[in-house]
Amino acid sequence: MILKTFFKESKELLRDGRVRAAFAIVIILLGIAVWISARQYQNTNEQYLVAEAAEREVWDNQGEKNPHSASHYGTYAFKPKYPLSLMDQGVDKYMGASIFLESHKRNEAQFSAAADQTGLARFGDLTPDFILLFIIPLLIILLGYNSFTKEREMGTLTLLKSQGVRPWKWAVGKWLSLFFPIFMVTAILFLIAGILLSNLQDFGVFKWGSLLAMFIVYVGYYIIFINIILFISAKVEKSGIALVLSLSVWILACLAAPKAASNLAETKHPFPTRQEFAANISKDKQEGLNGHNPWSKESKLLEQKVLAEHGVDSIHQLPFNFDGYRMQKGEEHEAEIYFKHYNYLKEQYAQQSDVYKGLAVISPYLPTRFLSMAIAQTDYGTHWDFSDAAEEYRIATQKFLNDDFAQNSTYGDWSYQADSDFWKKLPQFEYEPPQLGSIIRSNASSIWILGVWIVLSFSIFLLTTKTI
Amino acid sequence: MFRYNFIYELKLLLRSRWIQLLSILLLLLFGFSTINGKSKVVKREVDISVAKQEVEETDKAMLKLLDSVEQGLEVSVPSWTIPSSPMAVGNYHPRVAAMDPQPMAFISTGQADLFTHYIKPTVSGDDFALNFTEMTSPVQLLFGSFDLAFVIVYLLPLLIIAFTYNVLSSEKEQGSLRLLASQPISLRKWVFQKLMLRFFWLSLLVTLSLVVVILVAGVQPLQWSGILILLGLALCYMLFWFALAFLVNIFVDSSAKNAVSLIMLWVVFVLLMPSVLNQVGNTLYPIPSRTLMINEMREHKAEATKRQDEILDNFLRDHPEYAINDSTQSRNFYHRYMASQKVVKEELKPIVDAYETQLQKQQSWAQKLQWISPTIVVQESLSQLAGTSTADYGNYRKQVMAFAGQWRAYLTTFLYNNTPFSQKDYLSLPQFNYQAAKSNSVFTSMLVLLLIAILLIGFGFAVQGKTQQKGILSN
Repeated sequence: MILKTFFKESKELLRDGRVRAAFAIVIILLGIAVWISARQYQNTNEQYLVAEAAEREVWDNQGEKNPHSASHYGTYAFKPKYPLSLMDQGVDKYMGASIFLESHKRNEAQFSAAADQTGLARFGDLTPDFILLFIIPLLIILLGYNSFTKEREMGTLTLLKSQGVRPWKWAVGKWLSLFFPIFMVTAILFLIAGILLSNLQDFGVFKWGSLLAMFIVYVGYYIIFINIILFISAKVEKSGIALVLSLSVWILACLAAPKAASNLAETKHPFPTRQEFAANISKDKQEGLNGHNPWSKESKLLEQKVLAEHGVDSIHQLPFNFDGYRMQKGEEHEAEIYFKHYNYLKEQYAQQSDVYKGLAVISPYLPTRFLSMAIAQTDYGTHWDFSDAAEEYRIATQKFLNDDFAQNSTYGDWSYQADSDFWKKLPQFEYEPPQLGSIIRSNASSIWILGVWIVLSFSIFLLTTKTI
Repeated sequence: MFRYNFIYELKLLLRSRWIQLLSILLLLLFGFSTINGKSKVVKREVDISVAKQEVEETDKAMLKLLDSVEQGLEVSVPSWTIPSSPMAVGNYHPRVAAMDPQPMAFISTGQADLFTHYIKPTVSGDDFALNFTEMTSPVQLLFGSFDLAFVIVYLLPLLIIAFTYNVLSSEKEQGSLRLLASQPISLRKWVFQKLMLRFFWLSLLVTLSLVVVILVAGVQPLQWSGILILLGLALCYMLFWFALAFLVNIFVDSSAKNAVSLIMLWVVFVLLMPSVLNQVGNTLYPIPSRTLMINEMREHKAEATKRQDEILDNFLRDHPEYAINDSTQSRNFYHRYMASQKVVKEELKPIVDAYETQLQKQQSWAQKLQWISPTIVVQESLSQLAGTSTADYGNYRKQVMAFAGQWRAYLTTFLYNNTPFSQKDYLSLPQFNYQAAKSNSVFTSMLVLLLIAILLIGFGFAVQGKTQQKGILSN
């Protein structure tokens, strides 16, 4: 019976011109989206490689220079794009892709694409994730809204009942006939993306495992939608009403809930404004050791401590340049201040995440969105990870430069210049994004929420079909 | 016939509880979105006023210091922060260059979550380093805000669809179509009258609930003209959707098919068109790469630095406090510092300008694209009305840049004249006043929407569909 229903429903769908048209539209859109994203992805990565090489060259060829001057001249860390960003662009558009690394200051990633675009960009882009998250659920609604209501309207329900059909078998057949085409479209898309990505050379490490994980997340998302849509269709008398209700669920889950969640999250756990953030940091900085202020109380204390440690009574007698030493100590102190303030931002965001998770109760879209971005390495978490790695590299670079200054010059000798070969000794900035295993561990709660949604929606759907 | 239609329709709407349901829904949606919008505006105002207050307080301290210095007293602050030096004023006592919210700011978040609303430009450092983006969680930017513009642009059309999809088809399905066909009115005219009546009732409900919500939320004086424009835009946009519903009602047949068609139209106009147009714009006129711009700037900066070194000891460039505090250094450090900063600025200006021009071109192209989609037109117009559109922030940025130049010029005059900054000069410090741009394109938008709606309705009357050719009663 399950199979019979499945074949009958599939045939019916195939014969419906609107369904064929809808499928064709979705597939064409997906094709365009994948093609455009692949081009952009390649473009960005080429630019990234050029920029990284050029920046390193600028750094290497500084010539003779005081190491501390070089630290102010600074260098850039560029964020690469990862292969799966082809599927889900996540928040990449809203984050800068370059961080300026200089002494005394932790800079944020600059120049987000969204800030350079017009208001039009805020509507969203035609990318695979847009189609996967918004359009395919709509397709499910279109295919399934009248799955049960049509039997009522055409009067075939009585006929079916007289056949002694087990309702759950019948329902599973209908469920399968809706699931199968959606599953196929998604599978084909992911397969094409996988082939495309494994053929792109030189760009990041593409792993089929991550793609599969993402595929499973989306299939789960569609299962939830299929359950909800069929549940509505089974409960409601008329096709029109079923359609309007299904659509309301879609709007609530995909459009309204995320926006409302973002408003709630902001009111409850706001980020400081950029100016406030900067002011708080400079306030903290004033109180502590500043590598450039030998006249402050903290500097004098440090001086006494170091003198006592080395058993000498003047900083001129120290075996290293005290200016460089103080600079490094100041740097370490400032790094701690930045660590504290950026941690505050992270905490605020963690609390915002809880708000999003809370609203996942009414919207399966939310956990799917977060999981998909995380697996694609385009979420806020990955950005934090990158920015932390850049900060670590910045601190190491400062130590490298300050140590050279302290070791190779004498106190008060600000005219010291390092060799022109010296810069090449600084290790390159290398960044490894988090791997799938750790991504899954850190997003376990979203996976749980999605799982609960699947189980609950499925059982409610199956239980209600008993009473049709 | 019209009178009958009017009375019958009102009775029907009241008895089917459509009017009651719509009123509640509209009040809820408008209410929630207005609260969201208002809370954002309030936060913005508070942030700005806190920043201004802080400046006021440090100003008081500065004046006190100046007083002591002028009386020849000893002061206990680091010497490079003593405000008798014009550069100390320029760096440690910057003014707040704030973009105050417009009276209608609450209706659309627009780009307000992306950009900052106040900035304190200083004399040292370069203008390119001014960061105009706000610190917001990117997830929030991705999801957007549940504001009035969202309700009007996205949700109102859906309410219209639910309200209109079966005007004619339900008559057919209930079997009352034959009765209707026997009336002395053409069916198209009848559908049109019926839809216009529904449009009238919905407009009334939208107007009333909006006014109620805005009154409860509190209205500022001078806001009424803004509210009128808001209503005008909303009504024109609604009319566009009613015109679409009219076409679907007369050209498509069953209720379910009508609903599907209208929803497809909604998806096309609200979801697909904006994202496709955005993508087309980005593909045809790509946004110039910031990464490559940074590269170019770095190369030029390396050269500029060399020239700078001729003017200034490179170490002191980064650490003015050294030069000033150290008695062995000559006192006129800042003279050379400002000169060397100018070198960098001039060196980098062509790159920044080239980038900006390319960006401008891209953006103006995107701006032109909006006219293809009524949805984008309405969203843009609402943002303009709220003073939160891309153009408004561009305008603010320009004004801040100009102010930064003014601030620098004012204080460097003191520097080069070797006159100390004194208490009496305090009052003549440049102040920033944001001038909102006036734009009339909102009225153009309304006109365009009206025109599209009229064209659509005209099309419905002029063209015969399959059903008309066969005769509406034939099956």
